[in-house]
Amino acid sequence: MNTASRGLSRRDALKLAVMAGLAGVVTAYPERRTFAATQQTLDLAVERSRLTIDGATSRGIAIGGSIPAPTLRWREGQEVVVHVTNKLDEPTSIHWHGLLLLGVMDGAPGFNGYQPIMPGETYTYRFQLRQAGTYWYHSHSAGQEQEGMYGAIVIEPAERDPVRADRDYVVVLSDHTPERPDAVLRKLKLGSVSEGYYNRGKRTLFDFFQDVDRDGFDATVRNRLDWGDMLMEPTDLADVTGYSFLVNGKGPQDNWTALFNPGERVRLRIINASAMTIFDLRIPGLPMTVVAADGQNVVPVKVDEFRFGVGETYDVLVLPQEDKAFTLFAEPIDRTGFARATLAPREGMSGDVPARRPRTVLTMADMGMDHGSMAGMDHGSMAGMDHGSMKGMDHSAMMGMGTGSMPGMDHSAMPGMNHGAMAGMDQGMAKASDRALGWADAATPPGTKALSYADLKAFSKTRDLREPAQEIVVRLTGMMSRYIWTLNGAKFDQGTPIRVAYGDRIRIRFVNETMMAHPMHLHGMFVELENGQKDRLPRKHVVLVPPGQTTSVQLTADEPGEWPFHCHLLYHMASGMMTRFIVERRTASL
Amino acid sequence: MRSNTRSLTTASLLAGIALLSAPGFALAGAGEPGHGHAAAIGEPAKASAAKRVVQVELGDNYYKPESLSVKAGETVRFVLKNKGDFLHEFNIGTATMHAAHQKEMAMMVEHGMLTPTGINTSMSGMDHSKMGGMAEMKHDDPNSVLVGPGETKELTWKFTKETALEFACNMPGHYESGMVGKVAFTR
Repeated sequence: MNTASRGLSRRDALKLAVMAGLAGVVTAYPERRTFAATQQTLDLAVERSRLTIDGATSRGIAIGGSIPAPTLRWREGQEVVVHVTNKLDEPTSIHWHGLLLLGVMDGAPGFNGYQPIMPGETYTYRFQLRQAGTYWYHSHSAGQEQEGMYGAIVIEPAERDPVRADRDYVVVLSDHTPERPDAVLRKLKLGSVSEGYYNRGKRTLFDFFQDVDRDGFDATVRNRLDWGDMLMEPTDLADVTGYSFLVNGKGPQDNWTALFNPGERVRLRIINASAMTIFDLRIPGLPMTVVAADGQNVVPVKVDEFRFGVGETYDVLVLPQEDKAFTLFAEPIDRTGFARATLAPREGMSGDVPARRPRTVLTMADMGMDHGSMAGMDHGSMAGMDHGSMKGMDHSAMMGMGTGSMPGMDHSAMPGMNHGAMAGMDQGMAKASDRALGWADAATPPGTKALSYADLKAFSKTRDLREPAQEIVVRLTGMMSRYIWTLNGAKFDQGTPIRVAYGDRIRIRFVNETMMAHPMHLHGMFVELENGQKDRLPRKHVVLVPPGQTTSVQLTADEPGEWPFHCHLLYHMASGMMTRFIVERRTASL
Repeated sequence: MRSNTRSLTTASLLAGIALLSAPGFALAGAGEPGHGHAAAIGEPAKASAAKRVVQVELGDNYYKPESLSVKAGETVRFVLKNKGDFLHEFNIGTATMHAAHQKEMAMMVEHGMLTPTGINTSMSGMDHSKMGGMAEMKHDDPNSVLVGPGETKELTWKFTKETALEFACNMPGHYESGMVGKVAFTR
């Protein structure tokens, strides 16, 4: 690092030299190139690059020469200086996701006076680290995050870490497509008008029969009509498919591997740096003790799996005792593939790759429109079914049909069928026992535990126990059929900013009126999730709001500025699901 | 043999309310053939018998010091000060014993006998006859002490012979977080 060439003043250079002398031990972490703690000043170039996943090479954008970008290992209390040079032919930016800092250093173009970094230019970020934990950094411009502009940040605490581990690995999950992000968004907008371009799991006639079997005909039809009114498709768990799912930039065949000696305590800092993918993550045979969420310590909780929203981070500890390989397995909730990595005592080992789980089917409850119990339905109304109209269908062939065998079917041939004529289909239809029902159903096996938000309990007590002075309702809204995603019904450029007074305690109530989960991210401040933990509300920078549900958080508005507040699904944000969260000082009105 | 008997009591009572790998097996030294356990891990002793006092700080979630050094045959009086916000344990045993005890502690927390910050004393006034197998469930193993936030407690222990021991907190998640230390035997 040549600081002189950066034109730092002599005073700055001296300051850096002094700080370098005080900084921590240089540690080499095995997983990949790392900037150690002694380096106070970094140069990061943003440039076009290529990456190879399971043997297939495609284009991407690298920060600091790699995808993911290098892990930044810092120490709480340090002042860091990062020079970012844009070697692209388009504007770029780097946002420090989860870090508390001055608005102009946050790196979101159009907010807090921050301007995008133009081609050929260098921007110098400078901020003091006011926190410890696992965070990440990524582009906040166009679709660049999707193209590889993401990396991990690990900040060692100034005081004793409440967690001790023999090994410490960063695990960055991401989704990669060889398509350009603008092409993906164009197809989403185009495709949604006609057929659901990316939505391979669209509900089929076969599903309809299964639903009739389960719920009875009237309920199924009513359910269907409701969905129709809302212009949504009930399997829209995720809207982009065709992704490869990566662990530290490696595909399932590449098999990124972390080493351990049996009996060691291994800390995994897991980051969901995907553009669009919510994962269910597990390590079969190894329970995980969650010790931090979104960089903030939590009271340790032992789980077998967790659902992982885009932008969230979880730190977990595992204690492998046996001399064998374990598979870290993360399935997107639409089950279109998986990310896989290995924990093993030696290189070259691999564990079993578990069977894929069924994809869930959303229900009306996921729309917050549960019509109540389906029990007590009048099955008598099904008499008089006209088997004649069904002829031509080979029932026997459908009986044992697994969901996996559906993709090749030509659904387009079915819409013309007269559903009305099917009233009361054969009740002997195959049971959909391998199906999961409802957004929250991850098909977690009985006897194992999936993390719930309610389990998260802050390690240190909530500091601000005042009743909120202001309550803000943020409706998560959209129209899937036209690929428009909004907050309170308004796109970013048409909406009204949220304004709160500096120092106030605020409650935000997210009301999800869509059938997708939205990971809501506020820049600049942590929110505290109202999950029933009273004086230990967990602090989060992303809150995953399930479809049809309401989730509330509190925060103390102690960071003045105009902060981005958005859904962290990249194409939702790009299509308008963002607003401005303005924390303003009261002095103006005095 | 006292520790053995009493832990077995706890175990058999617990077994009545849930599927549980009986810690009795662990105490009998599963996976550690050739060791009669109670003798191997040592035994409780009177404070007056100790020639050495070791101060141990219990925090969230750690011990200070992080490891201990003892001699075979030595009796040590541990003074245990909890400086944290949470309930902690100081338990001397083998890794296998700790693993078994973690299941018991998790169950006690689940049933409300223990909370993250203390022992639920109100449970003692409950109608035991209606509690089935939990009637006598207590945290009273002689090789273990629970220390609430702000409390100071003591444990005097005779390390009879050299064996692979750990001192550990088996409150849910604490051992996993690293609240465990090795007992090294020196000559």
